[in-house]
Amino acid sequence: MSRTQCETREGLRFFGRISASVSHEIKNVFAVINEAAGLIEDLTLMAGRGMPLQPERLKSAANSIQGQVKRGDAIVRNMNAFAHSTDEDVREVNLIEALKLAVDLTSRFADMRRIKLTVGESESVSMAACPFDLTRLLHSSMAAAFDSMQPGDTLVITVSPADGGASFSLSVPGKDAPLKNDEPFADLARAMGARVETDEKTGISRLLLAAEGAPA
Amino acid sequence: MAEKVLLIDDEVEFLEALSERMEIRGMDVTTAENAAAAVSAINSGDFDAIVLDLQMPDMNGIDMLKVIRKTNPDMQVILLTGQATLEAGIQAMKLGAMDFMEKPADIDALTDKIKKAQAKKMVIVEKKTEKKVNDILKSKGW
Repeated sequence: MSRTQCETREGLRFFGRISASVSHEIKNVFAVINEAAGLIEDLTLMAGRGMPLQPERLKSAANSIQGQVKRGDAIVRNMNAFAHSTDEDVREVNLIEALKLAVDLTSRFADMRRIKLTVGESESVSMAACPFDLTRLLHSSMAAAFDSMQPGDTLVITVSPADGGASFSLSVPGKDAPLKNDEPFADLARAMGARVETDEKTGISRLLLAAEGAPA
Repeated sequence: MAEKVLLIDDEVEFLEALSERMEIRGMDVTTAENAAAAVSAINSGDFDAIVLDLQMPDMNGIDMLKVIRKTNPDMQVILLTGQATLEAGIQAMKLGAMDFMEKPADIDALTDKIKKAQAKKMVIVEKKTEKKVNDILKSKGW
């Protein structure tokens, strides 16, 4: 099989992995809405049979539905942005927005490992990049960082400009630098002109994206 | 007799609403948000059925099912999941799960399965009691 076909297959696999995770989250949202709406129906039926209706119970169920609709809306908005990341091969990308999207799409994977994932204070930076590959690179680097982390740890990621390109910093407060093994995404990083640097003194791993045309 | 049910799911709002609906239907419901709480509840309570989420942060449902089968081989377990795949379903049934349902679940169908689980458990308990009585009668030679 040619390298191009392999890359396409890997990209498709990533798309499937994210879509499966998103659909699972949406199913959970529907499950909560289903039970909260069902509870309202049960309470109403009981009221029809003469049992006094407690407004607080109805309010709590309605609040739960509203909260889940907001949660579902955020999930679908992220899924929509992710789907549109395949629209163009290369475009100017706001890297803070790209990082936030990648973090949101990776949060459920972090939750399953009981790891907290947050975007730290970042500096505004944008550059020409393939939005889909960038999301994949960020997701893969976070997933690789999880492998060196423990349940209860927090992975903080920030982005800032660096030499005309950008630097994504990954750190785990109180712990050694993550991303000791970049093997799972090394091919993709190379293809995107990116490289990983780890500073044990500061406990920070950096994913460096070279400016267009510059060596990584 | 009220069916004693343990609901295990990390979605707290789901647990709260479903347990209240099941209580309205006369069931005695205990909830657990994670595997550790679930194991503790299983060790301290005698349940007719366990309704278990397939994907949880600290332990997946299949591993949890293995733990339950090891300590309580006769426990009736219904897997409830947002990610119903044929493979997971087959694996769960092979491991002795009584049933497999996809979220969002229909409360009447779930209630029906729990009632069946209670009936099944009663048959198992009766058979075990009968065997125990027979063994005693044989060994004592009265």
